[in-house]
Amino acid sequence: MKAVITSIVAAILLALIFSLPALAQESSTITITMTGANEISISLDKTQWPLGNVASNTEYETSPPIEWCTLTVAGNCNVNTFIVGDDAKWVANPGAYKWTLSSDGTNGEQIYGLWFRISGDTTRGPLGDGYVPVTKTQGEFWPYSGGSGSSLAPGDTEKFGFRLLTPTYFISGRQMQTQITISAVAA
Amino acid sequence: MARRVRLVGLIAVFLVIFLPSFTLAQDINLGVSPAEVRIDDLPPGETAEFELTIHNKDELAHVFTFTTFQPPEEERREGMAEFPDDSWISFSCPEIEMLANSEANVTVTVVIPREQKWASQDWEAWLGVAAESSDLLGVTLYVRMLMSTSATMKARSSAGLFAGIAVAIVLLGYNGYYYLRRKTNPE
Repeated sequence: MKAVITSIVAAILLALIFSLPALAQESSTITITMTGANEISISLDKTQWPLGNVASNTEYETSPPIEWCTLTVAGNCNVNTFIVGDDAKWVANPGAYKWTLSSDGTNGEQIYGLWFRISGDTTRGPLGDGYVPVTKTQGEFWPYSGGSGSSLAPGDTEKFGFRLLTPTYFISGRQMQTQITISAVAA
Repeated sequence: MARRVRLVGLIAVFLVIFLPSFTLAQDINLGVSPAEVRIDDLPPGETAEFELTIHNKDELAHVFTFTTFQPPEEERREGMAEFPDDSWISFSCPEIEMLANSEANVTVTVVIPREQKWASQDWEAWLGVAAESSDLLGVTLYVRMLMSTSATMKARSSAGLFAGIAVAIVLLGYNGYYYLRRKTNPE
């Protein structure tokens, strides 16, 4: 009887020896080797544009118009940069009222236009005056297709400014707020 | 007099306070490393894990949020296709609060489903790190994640399990036979 029990235990142990490594492999995780361990980094020296009261169907420009903010590339890799805007929302109740950001820089009822211009860029944009619409789709900031510029290297800077075109009609007395995002990726 | 009152009323209707928020912070400065992650020959069914380091170079604490982004074809590396499903990428936390001038790590996990159609693929996705802000301008940094999957799927390693069960059955059968034989023929 003792031999039988010993044999059963041996059988179970043998089965475990074969099957446990197989079961363990089901939850394995591989190790990743990362290449290009560079740091991507940018900074902006200004992030606010307090306009105060604005009138309808009117243009407002940052001051100075095209050198209002400076983007500086830090880190140790070259970058391509992008820009995207958003609707302007009523601060007191963002879900209840907004101005829609135009897709081409023009305005309309409850629709506003927003443009950016990079210092030294005099011919870019639909009007050929250097101003480019900011839309809700991420677009090129610098460099851009058709331009002669190249990716920004560490230490490089770009100065830029904005132009706001307010809606032709909006509900007055409401504090509106929007956000423009500048993004960067390794070139 | 009535006309003047009407004019003032009309002007008041078309006035709105735009972006009047005010805080002391007027700049933003952040970095992420590495700028690019390359994962080679990941078998479908496997999991890849790696860490990103966030550098808050500001004099203020910030909350950083993590997202994935599908870059347009013209922004992807040559030969890289769109990453099929953002839900395969997850971050160890959706956001992280960081003190001024500090660093923190976040773990990124990528799980590719065990399906043959995901073998031998080259994909690119961007991992976004953004500093939450109520200011007009915000910054998002993207880490390029380049991934290639291996030609073969990770096989379900059940051969060992079946071998173990087979060995156990043989041994138990032999024990049963031996036990019965001894019982019927004690000598």
